[in-house]
Amino acid sequence: MAFNEIEVLLVEDNETDAELTMRALKKNNLANNLVWVKDGEEALEFIFATGRYTQREMHELPKLVLLDLRMPKVDGMEVLRILKADERTNKIPVVVLTSSKEDKDIVESYNLGVNSYVSKPVEFDEFTEAVSTLGLYWMLLNKSPE
Amino acid sequence: MIKYNSGENLSTKVMDRQLFRITAAITLLCIFCILSYYSTNRSSINAFYPFSILMVSFWWKKRTWLAPALLIGILVFIQALSFILGAAFTEAYYRLVMVMLTVIMVAFLFERIEKVRILNEMNEKLKKRTENLEDANNELEAFAYSVSHDLRVPLRAIDGFSRIVMEDYEEKLDSEGKRLLGIIRENTKKMGQLIDDILLLSRASRQEMKFTQIDMEALVRNVFQEQKLSSEAQNVHLVLKSVPNCYGDRALIQQILNNLIANSIKFTAPKEERIIEVGAENGKNMNIYYIKDNGVGFDMKYSEKLFGLFQRLHGATEFEGTGVGLSIVQRVIRRHGGAVWGEGKLNKGATFYFSLPKT
Repeated sequence: MAFNEIEVLLVEDNETDAELTMRALKKNNLANNLVWVKDGEEALEFIFATGRYTQREMHELPKLVLLDLRMPKVDGMEVLRILKADERTNKIPVVVLTSSKEDKDIVESYNLGVNSYVSKPVEFDEFTEAVSTLGLYWMLLNKSPE
Repeated sequence: MIKYNSGENLSTKVMDRQLFRITAAITLLCIFCILSYYSTNRSSINAFYPFSILMVSFWWKKRTWLAPALLIGILVFIQALSFILGAAFTEAYYRLVMVMLTVIMVAFLFERIEKVRILNEMNEKLKKRTENLEDANNELEAFAYSVSHDLRVPLRAIDGFSRIVMEDYEEKLDSEGKRLLGIIRENTKKMGQLIDDILLLSRASRQEMKFTQIDMEALVRNVFQEQKLSSEAQNVHLVLKSVPNCYGDRALIQQILNNLIANSIKFTAPKEERIIEVGAENGKNMNIYYIKDNGVGFDMKYSEKLFGLFQRLHGATEFEGTGVGLSIVQRVIRRHGGAVWGEGKLNKGATFYFSLPKT
């Protein structure tokens, strides 16, 4: 896949969760240009075109980042902090998609400037519904600066 | 989080100051005794009267007035002794009394110092225990976090992938295969509910409380309306008697009203006419509220089990539930310094009483 046409960057360490998320997006044809990375370190390398992704053009930013919080190496909160602190990347919409419903996480994410916080429902239908809704909203309805 | 540190420092400071005051007062008394022992002119000790009265008034608020008060007592005692004995109250007598008093004073001083030392020791122990409790609390918090996050992930996979099998292999599955997959999904749903309830319980016990005056009548009405919308409770009637305000944490009180009213709605389901009555009795410091229904009730024989965690008095097929709701109610009420108890009769309804502070 050519890295330069990426629309969604899915940052998720759990394979089954990633598969369920991609399946839900696929149903709405939103997963055509999706890249899945398995931890925060890889996500940062991808976005800033370093490490494993030096051949990528950095100015082609993803249109949406779906971010899990608890991940090995660099966790989601750290990724969010770095993305929102850098003026090259602070305009990418970041949606935290996590199992946690803890107030602490919600408050901290918003403090760091997250665009949306969605807690993954356990039930499959609700999960599919939630992922499709946020996919449709952020990919089709929402306007981000070019 | 509760801050323990400031409290500790404060109490240690108070103890040190108290020890200083006691030592100062008793040393002064000893000096007085020794001085008057050597003083040849007995009447000069009368000069101590205004001095000791000054000390009493100075230390009155700080609760160490006892030592200077004793000084006055000694002076009065010596005066009385010399008055009764007259000429027989010789210099030798006087000195004997003074020596005795000095010994008593020194004993008293040591006793007080020992007491403060023991208090300090206890304070130290308390500090250590508080630290242990804080550790345990942190561990519990980490545990709750892990429950909320890690247990949900595999559960979502079980539910999701059994659903995918149902969707993608629909033609290959016969009705028995679909039924079996249905059972898997039903049980993951139950486990999800259980995880949510455990989290609510842990939150009810560790969440910091913000006390305010709460309009209980409005809150009961809100909770009832909300429940009526979300559950099959169109034929439930609420009889709301006059309910006084209480003083507590709004979110937590709303949570317990939610649980109690949801229970009443659930357990009146088999009845044709479903009535929930909410009322209260004005107490001196606490109001006693009650929520009464005409549902299936329970046997008083098992009333002790009502508030136990995961305890249920009805079969899972009769009524849904995880057995956590009333445990949450009990924790919240206890955190407010109140009590909760239930009364019921099989098939004659149940009443739950709980007390909450007025101010």
